[in-house]
Amino acid sequence: MDTPRPKEDVAGTQARPAATMARSLLDDPRVLGWGSIVLVLLFWELTARLTGVSALYLPRPSQIVVALVYLFGSGGLAVDLGVTLWRIFAGFAIALFAGTLLGLWIATSFRTRAVADMFIAALYPLPKVTLIPLLIIWLGTGGPFMLTISFLGAIFPIVINTVLGVSQCDPGLVLAARDLGATPQQIMRRVLLPSAIPSIFAGVRLGLGVSIILVVAAEMVVGKTGLGARLYLAGQILETEQVFAVLIVLAALGIVVTKLQDTIDASLGNWRTD
Amino acid sequence: MGMPAVAIEFEDIGLTFAPASAAPTVALEAVSCRFEPGKVTALIGPSGCGKSTLLQITRGFLDPTRGRLRFVERSDDRVTARPAMSTVWQAFNLFPWLTVMENVAFGLDVAGVARAERDARSRRAIVAVDLTGFEHRYPRQLSGGMRQRVGLARALVMEPEVLLLDEPFGALDAQTRLVLQEQLAHLVETSGTTAILVTHSIEEAILLADTILVMTARPGRIAARIDVELPRPRSVATTRDPGFAALFDRIYSLLRDEVMRAMVSGSEGA
Repeated sequence: MDTPRPKEDVAGTQARPAATMARSLLDDPRVLGWGSIVLVLLFWELTARLTGVSALYLPRPSQIVVALVYLFGSGGLAVDLGVTLWRIFAGFAIALFAGTLLGLWIATSFRTRAVADMFIAALYPLPKVTLIPLLIIWLGTGGPFMLTISFLGAIFPIVINTVLGVSQCDPGLVLAARDLGATPQQIMRRVLLPSAIPSIFAGVRLGLGVSIILVVAAEMVVGKTGLGARLYLAGQILETEQVFAVLIVLAALGIVVTKLQDTIDASLGNWRTD
Repeated sequence: MGMPAVAIEFEDIGLTFAPASAAPTVALEAVSCRFEPGKVTALIGPSGCGKSTLLQITRGFLDPTRGRLRFVERSDDRVTARPAMSTVWQAFNLFPWLTVMENVAFGLDVAGVARAERDARSRRAIVAVDLTGFEHRYPRQLSGGMRQRVGLARALVMEPEVLLLDEPFGALDAQTRLVLQEQLAHLVETSGTTAILVTHSIEEAILLADTILVMTARPGRIAARIDVELPRPRSVATTRDPGFAALFDRIYSLLRDEVMRAMVSGSEGA
């Protein structure tokens, strides 16, 4: 993005190539983003060393890196990451499939909508973490519990956004499809569903975020494996470097998921009419 | 495609919208007319006179509240089933997530036509509307005129016996409209299809139609039926024909009164 900056050069001053280069570097958002992170880490490292604060409270970035390498190397963090990812995405995938179908059904059937509206209004605003105790009573703390909690996180935003997307479909497109001989089922699958995809994807963004939060939170409460369990245990035994290491893995997961979604978003350009 | 043989007859057709929460609106009142097979009939009239409603009834998307719609075999006057119809829309209504080729092939695809035949027919339709080389573009990458040519190809590829044109050039600029009118006139003349053209443009009606039905302001009725005897092929040059000017004036004077009426009753209704 090019934002015009006020021109500083007044008549008479000479060109300063070095300064110009530094300035153009500072105009690059990636340089700014990564550079500021490096600066913060350097500041952290230096002040921690100079003040001699205990690693129990605030480990230095270099100690965290060592912990991270250790945990990935022999500490089984890769397994925990895998377990957590599986829990998140398995439940999320079921929610995506079921939520899209359910949304399509709600949006196209007056009666289904009337019924579903009540349930959604009652259940959507409920913080899903509050369901953890009940789900443990019902399902225990194993795989089905984790799958359900991830599913519950994602299903509501996906259903709601599918309904929204289908309802906002241009009626002219439906009419055109009918005119070309499409059956109601074909209209659903080939017009309503594709026209709702950008909206469904907005639901996916929201839903996946909630799934991640819920799975990690559930792991902290009951898990023996997974990133959340690892985080909680490390905190219990005051392994602060390990706490930070897990947080960094979670942050990295967030970055990867967000960038992936941005890429998919960009590829939805064909849905734009103009 | 053989010569179409089915005439469309409106007998005393009326349509009243009666929503539960508002006063009923009479959209059409006692419309009787006949659309001849293989001919282009233009419907012209003030905004809101029910031209498009008439088209929707013909297509079977709306049921009239009175009167009857009949499809009649030309040879023996027997009543027959609704012939194959396709519509070209003012708003184009192209599927934005499909390419030009996929848009054109949509109707054949949902009908289960095999891929090879589907592709061949779609390609022919794309050639007919002069869009060769744009098969893999998306609608948003095309100009308005090109989009409507896709709309035309998408309708023509179905080889309809009746082509319904719902203000097909209403959303286009004047120059594009002229060029497309000429192209459409040519396509309709060569395909020999029955066509019903809803339009606001007197010029468009004269250039394209064999018969022009002038409609009254709401509630819509047929005010006049005018045959256009100007020779074909017609083009922009036709507009300089003295016969064109005479027709134009006649239709304009009919329409003027109706438009004035529509404006007055419109302001009363508002």
